[in-house]
Amino acid sequence: MSAVRAPRARPGSMSRALAKDRLGISAVLFFVLAGVAPLTVAAGVIPTAYQTTHLTGIPAAFLVVAVILAIFAVGYVAMTRHITNSGAFYAFVSQGLGRATGVAAALVALLSYSCLQVGLYGALGPAAAAEAAAHLGVHAAWWAWALAAWGIITVLGTLRVDITGRVLGVLLTAEILVILAETISGLASPAGGHLSFATLSPADLTKAGVGTFGVLAVVAVLGFVGFEQAPVLAEEAKNARRTIPHATYLALGMIAVVYAGASWAMAVHAGTSHVVAAAGQEGPGLLFGLGGGGLSQAAQLLYLTSLFAAALAFHNVVWRYMFALGREHVLPAALGRTGANNIPKAASLVQSASGLAVIVIYAATRQDPMTRLFFWLGTTGGFGILLLLALTAVAVVAFFARDSRGEHAWQRLIAPALAAVLLTGIVVLAVRNYATLLGVPPADPASWALPASYAAVAVIGLGWGLLLKGRRPDLYAAIGLGARAVTARLSTAADQAPR
Amino acid sequence: MALLSGTGLVADDLFLLAHHDVSGRPFLQSRATGIGLAGALLAELVLSGRIRVWANGVGQADRALPDDGLAGWVLGLVLTERERHAPRDWLMFLATTAEQDVATRLEQSGYLTETTSRRPWRAHRWIPVDSDCAFAPLARVRAALDPARPPTVHGVVLAGLATACGLGSRLLPYAPPGARRWLDAAVRQLSPDLRELIAQTQAAVDSALLSHRV
Repeated sequence: MSAVRAPRARPGSMSRALAKDRLGISAVLFFVLAGVAPLTVAAGVIPTAYQTTHLTGIPAAFLVVAVILAIFAVGYVAMTRHITNSGAFYAFVSQGLGRATGVAAALVALLSYSCLQVGLYGALGPAAAAEAAAHLGVHAAWWAWALAAWGIITVLGTLRVDITGRVLGVLLTAEILVILAETISGLASPAGGHLSFATLSPADLTKAGVGTFGVLAVVAVLGFVGFEQAPVLAEEAKNARRTIPHATYLALGMIAVVYAGASWAMAVHAGTSHVVAAAGQEGPGLLFGLGGGGLSQAAQLLYLTSLFAAALAFHNVVWRYMFALGREHVLPAALGRTGANNIPKAASLVQSASGLAVIVIYAATRQDPMTRLFFWLGTTGGFGILLLLALTAVAVVAFFARDSRGEHAWQRLIAPALAAVLLTGIVVLAVRNYATLLGVPPADPASWALPASYAAVAVIGLGWGLLLKGRRPDLYAAIGLGARAVTARLSTAADQAPR
Repeated sequence: MALLSGTGLVADDLFLLAHHDVSGRPFLQSRATGIGLAGALLAELVLSGRIRVWANGVGQADRALPDDGLAGWVLGLVLTERERHAPRDWLMFLATTAEQDVATRLEQSGYLTETTSRRPWRAHRWIPVDSDCAFAPLARVRAALDPARPPTVHGVVLAGLATACGLGSRLLPYAPPGARRWLDAAVRQLSPDLRELIAQTQAAVDSALLSHRV
């Protein structure tokens, strides 16, 4: 029964063969930018932010927040080199601040990404309804389109279809080109014939009081969400030491320029003093109106594909989080199981169920989808990411305080400590001005209930983590390890190969 | 000539488990199948006492060449590789060709036959020669999942690797209640090398899933 035919010839060195299968900077960068979904932010978030917050410092906020996130990224990518499961915030927090805090961070992350995903239906519905009414003569409510999109995403999620890299790459490139073209066109036709730089000035960030910077920063962080995903590919990257940091900084720089440019062009084209009112009237049209007919048409279609791709991408981020937590037994183990074709059906369906519930509630209570679903849940998701960034910065300092692991003081202490102070400051300002962020009176219950939801899940997570510590120390020890949790439980770490 | 008792090799049984017994259609994503089969090829060498697997490396235990050509080739790689690689690296490396290699071995021993699809965009497929023989590994796995039957090392390793690469949902419908827990307990009874290998296989498959590569 022994084999007669010898196996095929293959590369000599194993390391060389492994390297061939790994990802370079451009692949990682595309992966990161695809999660960022530029047109969703440029046409969806920015006009709604002008309209809701009544603040004009958005372009400057993108630039300032990019610098703060770059400072954060110094410690973040440094720690990526020393931990496993480095794609998940809670892994950083578990390693830096203890596993119980890690469980709290995990639940905060799950709620944040879930808010971001579900919120997208609030923009997807109206955008699809508008396109269908204009071009197909089909008139249906926003929620009907949102439910249709939900149905497709639910099916694709359980079939485990990721939009393939090439399709996403083409869409992404087209989105960025369209935004740049709209930006140039808008800047070329300024209101009153005068090109104003006012909205780019840092002075504009605090024009309506220091606290407004917190509001603007949450909007900007929302725009940057996705930049934190590069370490997910750390184990797959050609040279994790260089590929992951380079892709992260490049993504931050590109996003900052594109968004600051687009939001600046909107203010220039409508006039700084009129941009808030114009955003209220036109919505995403504030961006589309910067260019001529053909460009505007292309932008509107791409806006739709961008929203859909973002909703699918975040759906996949959410189930991956649930899957990792299910594997670690932090969430029910059923969420960490896969069915045929390696599809984690349970995790995917749980996220679909929450999407359906939210769409139905918003439709039944007749709330405005763009401001109350897309922007409220979107910014609340962004606020959750901001909380995690602040917590992760502290975790980086704590992690390296125990052992510097050969990292320079700038990477392990100065930059992350500075980022922790700045990000915590933004969190405080944002909480105090949450009503401005939502565009509601200060007494509105949403202005405390939405940020407080994170406190609630954090307390639950902390309690659950401490319970695991007491009752299931074996599971507790593996928290934050993600896919590696199983080796911690099953393998015999004491058994090492002889030197 | 295909036999109901199979070839006795873990990777052969895992391949048959991971594909439909009549159509040969795969039940898993190809990367997951590859990692699982890579784990099975290493497991064959551990079971025959040729190599050892630790958390941080794979090393030789006995230089004697196995009867089987594919196993001999893998052992040759372990013996000649100068750098030390973690089990995960071995799995990822072997995974790139494992499916093809094991299918070729099964074809040579009479279990599979290769067909090319009439549709040019479809890849060629390996089809079982005898669907009963292709279904038989599932019966062998049952022993490992059934508390009422004495488990065999082959059965436990096969069931452990199959679950690790994502075939759990295929095995469990044929197993009595409580099978998952019983299997976990049986895997814990294996030698440290085999336990490590199964855990590393599962971690590699999960990690591929989490990093969007499955």
